[in-house]
Amino acid sequence: MAEIPTQYGIILAAILFSLGIAGILIRRNIFFILIFVEVMLNAAGLAFVVAAARWGQADGQVMFIFILATAAAEVAIGLGLLLRLHHLFKTLNVDQASDLRG
Amino acid sequence: MTSAEIMSLLPLLVLAGAAVVVMLAAAFFRSHRLSLTLTLVGLVAAFASLPLAFAYTPRQVTPMLLIDGYALFYMGLLFAASFVVALLAYGYLEKGEANPEELYILLLLSTVGGAVLVASSHFASFFLGLETLSVSLYAMIAYNRTERRAIEAGIKYLILAGVTAAFLLFGMALIYTDTGTLAFSGVVAAAAVRPSLMVMVGLGMLIVGVGFKLGVVPFHMWTPDVYQGAPAPVTGLVASMSKGAMFALVLRYFTPIPPLERQGLFLVFTTIAVLSMVGGNVLALIQDNVKRILAYSSIAHLGYLLVAFLASGPAGQLAVAFYLVAYFATTLSAFGVVTILSTPDHEAERLEDYRGLFFRNPRLAVIFTITLFSLAGIPPTAGLIGKIFIAAAGVQASLWFLLIVLVLASVIGVFYYMRIVITMFRRPETEAAQQALTGLPRGASVALAALSVILVGLGVYPVPVMTIIENMVARLV
Amino acid sequence: MIVAFYVAGGVAVLSTFLVILQTNAIHALLYTILSLLSVAIVFFSLGAPLVAALEVIVYAGAIMVLFVFVVMVLNLSPETEGVDRAWLQPRTWTGPVILTLILIGELVYILMTRAGLTLEGAAIGPKQVSLALYGPYLLGVELASILLLAGLVGAYHLGRDALD
Repeated sequence: MAEIPTQYGIILAAILFSLGIAGILIRRNIFFILIFVEVMLNAAGLAFVVAAARWGQADGQVMFIFILATAAAEVAIGLGLLLRLHHLFKTLNVDQASDLRG
Repeated sequence: MTSAEIMSLLPLLVLAGAAVVVMLAAAFFRSHRLSLTLTLVGLVAAFASLPLAFAYTPRQVTPMLLIDGYALFYMGLLFAASFVVALLAYGYLEKGEANPEELYILLLLSTVGGAVLVASSHFASFFLGLETLSVSLYAMIAYNRTERRAIEAGIKYLILAGVTAAFLLFGMALIYTDTGTLAFSGVVAAAAVRPSLMVMVGLGMLIVGVGFKLGVVPFHMWTPDVYQGAPAPVTGLVASMSKGAMFALVLRYFTPIPPLERQGLFLVFTTIAVLSMVGGNVLALIQDNVKRILAYSSIAHLGYLLVAFLASGPAGQLAVAFYLVAYFATTLSAFGVVTILSTPDHEAERLEDYRGLFFRNPRLAVIFTITLFSLAGIPPTAGLIGKIFIAAAGVQASLWFLLIVLVLASVIGVFYYMRIVITMFRRPETEAAQQALTGLPRGASVALAALSVILVGLGVYPVPVMTIIENMVARLV
Repeated sequence: MIVAFYVAGGVAVLSTFLVILQTNAIHALLYTILSLLSVAIVFFSLGAPLVAALEVIVYAGAIMVLFVFVVMVLNLSPETEGVDRAWLQPRTWTGPVILTLILIGELVYILMTRAGLTLEGAAIGPKQVSLALYGPYLLGVELASILLLAGLVGAYHLGRDALD
């Protein structure tokens, strides 16, 4: 473990984070967008754990646990909203499910 | 945890306890009135515990929270905002919602989140407070779950809040990688020694997360849609509490960052402030949906607040605190009027809905007029005094460009506020629309009347509030 | 250990990339779960066994399963839900891809110029994390439970009254 430079860990997190952003920009289906939000949160959590390992502290792992709790709460409500959205709009497409003017 | 620490945490404990009590009450007795009563009692109790906690300040309770006069002042403001929103929501929900009790639980929980946010001194409590506030808001925005617009607003807010929370977290992680500490004091200290590129990028990503919550340009896209789609009392909450809590945090922790870094940050915040002031006011001109007008107006007001933030120093902090009080009162009053006129099935959002309001219910029209005057900065309201304070702070800090933009933007603002006022005083075309409005909810009406008194009172005699602010707030570096 | 890190990291990146290209919701979920499991292995190679286990149990095992439930309820299949082949055209994905590459490049540059960060030796196991959770982060744990309560009440309200 002492041989893995921290940079590579953070770079990995950064790549995953960026892929999450790309996914949100490319895909127009809300279900997929929610998946990519989870990917982004996970990437941020990875960055925290890498940082914690670099300093030899437990704080980063604790932050990861908190991020986990947040992601869980957010997903629960997000998927509930998704089901309602599908029921009302009959589509999960972001561009079509848009009553409110941009 | 010593007893002193528990005493200083009393407001938070009371509030969280109140949320649980309301939840249990809703589980056993499905009564809207009971939920409202318990909520109000809980908020009053939390507010009353503030002086008790003040005796134990300033106190760092675990590395997470720093309870001092600053935090307690803003907590009080948040509790008051919650109280008003609860009253407004009662009248609104009575008109149509079958399951109103959950809103009060979520309201109390969001207030807990906001209170943690203003007291936080560590990235973990920052994040947790922010997310508690946000998660409660997701469900509150989409509370009219059978309305298309509400669900759409909720989902948009959730996605954007999730993405910006991820940005915020990644920024925190970068700063943590470089400094090895998650406490704000440690971060500021390490940044003072050698502000590295990684910390700067981390701060930049933090600003993305913060900017979204504040609803400033260029992170403002959600504001009009969410304001329009959410139930009116919830919009009032989003506009006041969520922005206010985040702003209090930003003021506390971005201020002591040393001048070396402030150059870059200064430019960033100046740009954001200018874009918000101009963009908010200009975009409001073309709207004819009252809720959207108020949304863009709130973007502009956050721009004004940023000017005071940039002024910094005691004058700047005084200006921010006073303007936030005025902003809270004004916003809640405005959305209070919208709430009283709305039902869950039909929100009073088009300009047409306000036509001839003076003839249907003169008191409401007068209240709304006072509110709009305060938003525009017309005497003798709190809004004008607030702007004067901001201008004074800006002059002291020689922020000439920002002040010019502030004045010009305010002038533009007067136009669309006056448009609403004039609409209220025009005679409606059909006889049917001239029916007098009766049977308005009492609690909400009383709250609105009180807010109007506050708005005019602060405009005429701001000294008592200023004294409180000076004693509690303006003690920062 | 080092090999495990690089291999798992590579798998994570590749499978996340593949999620973007999937039309079928279940396939996308499977690639996501694969990505999360690889990240768990990365955690383990970094000396964080507790979060590795939590990643598998909670993130991949609970949160992703919620997504699977939704797919089952909504019956999302590749032909429906308006996912046409339009988004495969270069016009759609060029912008985001360029932005992403710029972002990655920027972050890599920043990180490579920051010399001298190597990871400390020992693994930080459950004991240290627990001591932290019961010590300085005590309030954080309570706040997290309040956060989950908010999520619970919110999801309950949104979910009641069956959709017909």
